[in-house]
Amino acid sequence: MKKPILKYILFIWLAVVFCVAIVLPIPGIGNMGDRARIIFFHVPMAWVSVLAFTMGLFYGAMYLKKKDIIYDYKAAASAGLGLLFSILATVTGAIWAKFDWGTYWNWDPRQTSIFVLILIYGAYFALRSAIESDETRAKLSSVYTILAGITVPFFIFILPRIVETLHPDPIVNTQGKIKMDGKMQGIFFSSLAGFTALYLWIFSLKVRLVKLMMKGDE
Amino acid sequence: MDFFTQNSYYVVLGVVLIIWLGIFSYLVSIEKKITKLEKE
Repeated sequence: MKKPILKYILFIWLAVVFCVAIVLPIPGIGNMGDRARIIFFHVPMAWVSVLAFTMGLFYGAMYLKKKDIIYDYKAAASAGLGLLFSILATVTGAIWAKFDWGTYWNWDPRQTSIFVLILIYGAYFALRSAIESDETRAKLSSVYTILAGITVPFFIFILPRIVETLHPDPIVNTQGKIKMDGKMQGIFFSSLAGFTALYLWIFSLKVRLVKLMMKGDE
Repeated sequence: MDFFTQNSYYVVLGVVLIIWLGIFSYLVSIEKKITKLEKE
């Protein structure tokens, strides 16, 4: 964020969202009651991970097109953030599952699919660290990030809708409607915007750091 | 312990806000360092 004021706005924005999300009385979803509050944290995290993986795919493709190493670093930065946020989504989901399903982990299709996704992106970083030559690493990992990025919609959106799952209906469900109270929708979308801005900020910091490192190498 | 059970919402909120403040301050400090290095 080039303008310093923006990050302070983001700080206040998310702080207010957290206050409202935790304290404001909500009608809940189904019979979940207060446990429905997880939607303000867990879903934005999952959304950011999908966004980050998609950006990784985009920058991987850009590297293969332009052969500029910065795109490879951008892809890695984005995939790293995607991995971080998907781990956070998995952990918050598991804590919620303890209170709603009675156990942290039961290999529900949702849990299994995000677990496989984490393994796929874990392998991406293993691949990157295994190759010394910058150019070979950039080429191979760009191809990998495209292949991995293509699997993301299947694991996040398609697979959990095909098989039976305990996971609550996704935000946009099979009927294509948003089943959420208006007040909750407001908090949810504010949280989504806040988390997206947070991702963009961290991503820009990582890119600036990489550019500095590249200058140092020259 | 009564205080924590009676004010559980606010206790959770307090913890979340402290974590958010920590993450935010950490990012701001990193940004400051990066800006300083960029100027050099």
